[in-house]
Amino acid sequence: MNTILIIDDDPRFRTQARDVLEADGFVVIGQAVDGASGLEAAQSLRPDFVLLDIGLPDVDGFEVARALALDRSAPLVVLTSSRDARAYGRRLTNGDCLGFIPKEQVSGASIRALVDRG
Amino acid sequence: MVSTLSTPRTTTTLNRVRALLLITAGALGLGMLGGTAQLGPLALETVLEVLVGWSFVACGTFIWAHRPANRLGPLMTTVGMLWLLGRTMTLVPSAVVYTAGLWLTDLWAAGFALFLLSFPSGRLASRADRAIVGIFLFVTVPLEFLWLLFLAPENGLNALGLAADPNAARVIDRIQRVLISLGAVLLVISLGRRWLRSSGPVRRQMAPVLVGAVAILLQSASWIFLSSGTSLEPLDDLIFVAQIAIPIAVLSVMLRARMARAGVADLVVELGRTPTPARLRDALANALGDPTLQVAYWGPAQDRFVDAAGEAVELPEDGTGQAVTMLERNGVREAAIIHDAILLEQPGLIASVAGAMRLAVENDRLTAEVEAQLQEVRASRARIVEAGDRERRRVERDLHDGAQQRLISLSLELRVARSALGDNGDPAVRRSLDRAAEEAKAALAELRDLALGIHPLILTEGGLGEAVESLADRTSVDILVDVGPERFSPAVEGAAYFVISEALANVTKYARATKATVRVRGLDDHLSIEVDDDGIGGADPRAGSGLRGLADRLAALDGTIAIVSPTGGGTRISAQIPTIQPTPDPVSAL
Repeated sequence: MNTILIIDDDPRFRTQARDVLEADGFVVIGQAVDGASGLEAAQSLRPDFVLLDIGLPDVDGFEVARALALDRSAPLVVLTSSRDARAYGRRLTNGDCLGFIPKEQVSGASIRALVDRG
Repeated sequence: MVSTLSTPRTTTTLNRVRALLLITAGALGLGMLGGTAQLGPLALETVLEVLVGWSFVACGTFIWAHRPANRLGPLMTTVGMLWLLGRTMTLVPSAVVYTAGLWLTDLWAAGFALFLLSFPSGRLASRADRAIVGIFLFVTVPLEFLWLLFLAPENGLNALGLAADPNAARVIDRIQRVLISLGAVLLVISLGRRWLRSSGPVRRQMAPVLVGAVAILLQSASWIFLSSGTSLEPLDDLIFVAQIAIPIAVLSVMLRARMARAGVADLVVELGRTPTPARLRDALANALGDPTLQVAYWGPAQDRFVDAAGEAVELPEDGTGQAVTMLERNGVREAAIIHDAILLEQPGLIASVAGAMRLAVENDRLTAEVEAQLQEVRASRARIVEAGDRERRRVERDLHDGAQQRLISLSLELRVARSALGDNGDPAVRRSLDRAAEEAKAALAELRDLALGIHPLILTEGGLGEAVESLADRTSVDILVDVGPERFSPAVEGAAYFVISEALANVTKYARATKATVRVRGLDDHLSIEVDDDGIGGADPRAGSGLRGLADRLAALDGTIAIVSPTGGGTRISAQIPTIQPTPDPVSAL
């Protein structure tokens, strides 16, 4: 279980995240630049994981997470942001996501740590 | 009558006329004295009669000279001349002259009534007063004519006695006396009402005419008794004395600028304390003893005078017994005092009262100016706080968009490099990369702390509730958060957040508490914030510069903060922030 879809509007982060994740054994099967195309990609590609930026241009990342959770074969959603968890408080624990990792800490290891913990 | 407190002007012609009248009056008086002296020893009654006439003429001409705009002067002079002429002419053995003298002597009563009622303005105040004078005129003109028609005097000198009929004459005479008595009663009532309606200076000034009215009443009473055959000579003498005194008293009233100093001093003190329009009017009316007093303000927008409630005020016309004193500033009219005309005779009094009123009006104006300036200051403070908050949000965004992004990117690059190196690379390089990653992580953490201290994004996006919960989660002490989901203006939320943040920081650092409570309530017009802890207390409100700085920020929003911290008894910090703030000027968001 190692396929992942990256949804983020910052191309530099998408590239760096892909490099880090693939170095850690993940397979990046898709990238999307906003919430709408991200949901479509999740539907068609059926990844195991989704790395989801909270600050998307068209919609709040939390809404996308909620929409993804409705799917029968819902992927595990990891929220991420340039800001740390303090900026979002208790919204991160509402159950639609596996967890939150600040962007600079994104790696295969940190995602697996969430899985083990949860 | 509008008076602007002008000085008397005299013309040479009028002076000559007055001088002529004085000389004539003197001659007539001497003639009376001489004429009656021929008939027998000089009686007190005759001397008194002459003095009455002289008193009226002398005082009348004096008033005429010093108050030329007032009809009272010429009126009194005429009354005096009627008196003297009438009585002198009845000493002349010519039928025409004697008859004319009789008529003039009786006509004097109407003149006297007119004088009493038109004091002090020289004009009749009301229709009622005009009717009373009308009664006197009716008696002394048409009825008098009828009487003379039927009269057959003992000396046979009646030039009009064309239908001599003593009975008819007696009947008409009786009617005349009754009507004069009626007129006298009405006169006393009219003047009495005016006297009762006023107080203080106005009453004192009205005393002479009241006495005059009573004198007429007594005189008509004595006439009625006379026709029944009783003589009341001592009363007549007394009445003469009163009639001599009245013009002199009137003169002194007209000319004396006696100021009710105590009254005005009280007025100034009272106006200093309570310059509201209603109290101003009452204070002025009290000081001047004129309950009919009104204060009108010039309303430039409506181009007319209005009272304190904004209703239009009509200035009184001439002849209503009321006068207007205008208050002007730099030639522009500001206000008007409408008062009993009698007060014009004390220009010093009016001037000092007007001065007191000017002080009050100026006070009002300055108060209004200060209030306007205070409003401006409040609005400007709100703008400054708003600008500060906007700036902080901008800095937070800049930090996020700029430095944070770079550090994140740097961290990720280092991670990629670390992965690429793997476990087989040079250990020194590996260690170097690890250290670099640590540095980047530390820098990012510090930057994020800084941004949070400047302006927490969660406050803008989630409101006070979420922001305080986030604060509480990061505090080691157990904190109960009781905050509603309501949103308030950014300035208010910002101030509230920083109060709570500072308070919780103090709880963690100094209070040695085990638990604390944060309670925020949005009430009708303000936000109420309370932070309680169960620590050691003893917080000195003056010491912590953090809380003092907050006090300034709260003050800019008209908020307050209080600290209750008994030693050993925990600490409570309470703050109130009004939620209805003056709106700063709209400025486009950055």
